[in-house]
Amino acid sequence: MLEISDLSAGYDGIPALRSVDFRVGSREHVAVLGPNGAGKTTLLKAISGTVVPDSGSISFDGQDLLAHAPHKRVEDGIVHVPQGRMIFASMTVADNLRLGSHRRAAQNRYDERRDLVFEIFPALAEMLNRDGGALSGGQQQMLAVARGVMACPRLLMLDEPSMGLAPRAADDIFEGVTRLMQSETTAMIVVEQRAHQALEVCDRAYVLESGEVSLEATSRELLADERLAAAYLGSEL
Amino acid sequence: MTEFLQFLVPGILIGGVYALLASGLGLIFGVMRVVNFAQADFMMLAMYLSWALFAGGIGMDPFVAMPGIFAVFLLLGMAIHWLFIRFVIGRHENHDAQVILTLGLGLIFQNLILIRYSSEPRVVAPSYANTGDFIGDIFISRARLYAFLLSLLVAALLFLFLNRTGTGRAIRAASENWEAATYMGINIDRTNRIAFGVGVALTAVGGAALVTFQSITPFVGLRFVVVMFAAVVLGGLGSVSGAFVGGVLIGIIQSVSQVWTSAAVKNVWVFALFLLILYVRPNGLFGKVQRAI
Repeated sequence: MLEISDLSAGYDGIPALRSVDFRVGSREHVAVLGPNGAGKTTLLKAISGTVVPDSGSISFDGQDLLAHAPHKRVEDGIVHVPQGRMIFASMTVADNLRLGSHRRAAQNRYDERRDLVFEIFPALAEMLNRDGGALSGGQQQMLAVARGVMACPRLLMLDEPSMGLAPRAADDIFEGVTRLMQSETTAMIVVEQRAHQALEVCDRAYVLESGEVSLEATSRELLADERLAAAYLGSEL
Repeated sequence: MTEFLQFLVPGILIGGVYALLASGLGLIFGVMRVVNFAQADFMMLAMYLSWALFAGGIGMDPFVAMPGIFAVFLLLGMAIHWLFIRFVIGRHENHDAQVILTLGLGLIFQNLILIRYSSEPRVVAPSYANTGDFIGDIFISRARLYAFLLSLLVAALLFLFLNRTGTGRAIRAASENWEAATYMGINIDRTNRIAFGVGVALTAVGGAALVTFQSITPFVGLRFVVVMFAAVVLGGLGSVSGAFVGGVLIGIIQSVSQVWTSAAVKNVWVFALFLLILYVRPNGLFGKVQRAI
């Protein structure tokens, strides 16, 4: 579904990704792990188009994605739930969800998707009329994921959904993501610091270090081999 | 008391028009962080268009022409965005280019009009221009009353557009966080183009509302540009409703200050209040934008 080869990208000449090969099959759930500054966010931004790569290729369903403007990639079905949530703070939860369904393919499915979102995160149903900025961090993260789900994504990318959250709030998010994966056949990329939780919901994982892929393995392999995990993921696992 | 009201009411009426002029500037800044120094010259162009329609044989009333003027300036604004503005949007280092571009556009508009129509002041005087009604002891000018009511109507339509339509929602989203809006599939270039067109058209309509009591010259924009910028900053950069309130406030102060001091110094009071409000609330009354330009 998504094929990335030999991708390099950087900011003002400082490389953030170096010759990365990466792929996601249809319906596949892929974790991207690694320390801060390893290039995980840059990889997602290159896919969604807010970072322009220096070289390499990205194709989606056989099409050259780099030829598509960022908003066009959403129309293609690639939906990015960014790090730091980026919800629209001055707008209500309902308006945030409406904006999530801005994608043409999602516009007529608003009610259906909203019902799905409430199944995944029941707490959101009670706060439709509250301003996004008035929500707690955990609630904002639920809204950010929900907003992505509203777009009927074909490839959903979650960038550190647990970042900055208390452990319980982070667990709530992962429970929601698990429910989402059970009810939807969407392909997903999950960038996470909490490697263990990410591996439990994903089929396969890439480990990024200093902008390079240092390991590609199935979740089962990583979870089974403690030495491998310790070598690549430190004590996090 | 009557004397006070005699000044307060016209202040509110003209303040409504200031509000309309400023809301266009505020919308453009709020959405794309571009300070459009040509804004008052779009107003001037709209005034000449109203005058041409009225005096040019058709005798069309400025208020009747309003929807057409809105449409013309919506398209003109979108074209100017597509031709010029979109190339100077975004990066910090582009602020100089934005200033030079918009100031330059303003100068070009002024001088094209000067060449075509000379600097002779033009007036639009429909039958109601110099009439009015007494409500109690207070005289209300028809022309100013119509201009005020029009401003309220346009403000209501703007509110509905921004809050109840998909495009309006997209514009608000893009103004709050362009990156997040991009992840929603919103075409930022398109929302900018529409916001620039709507912003220019709002100010144009405000200009057309002025023509029945304000004479028109190629440099009439200079009389209003300061008021527009003060209203936007007073209300809070990035807030369209703030710009609106700021405009009304400035109209009231300009007028009410004449109870005590000469009309010649009315803008001194505006700037005194301007400094006071910015001292107490550095982001303006309804400010959202923390960083200066």
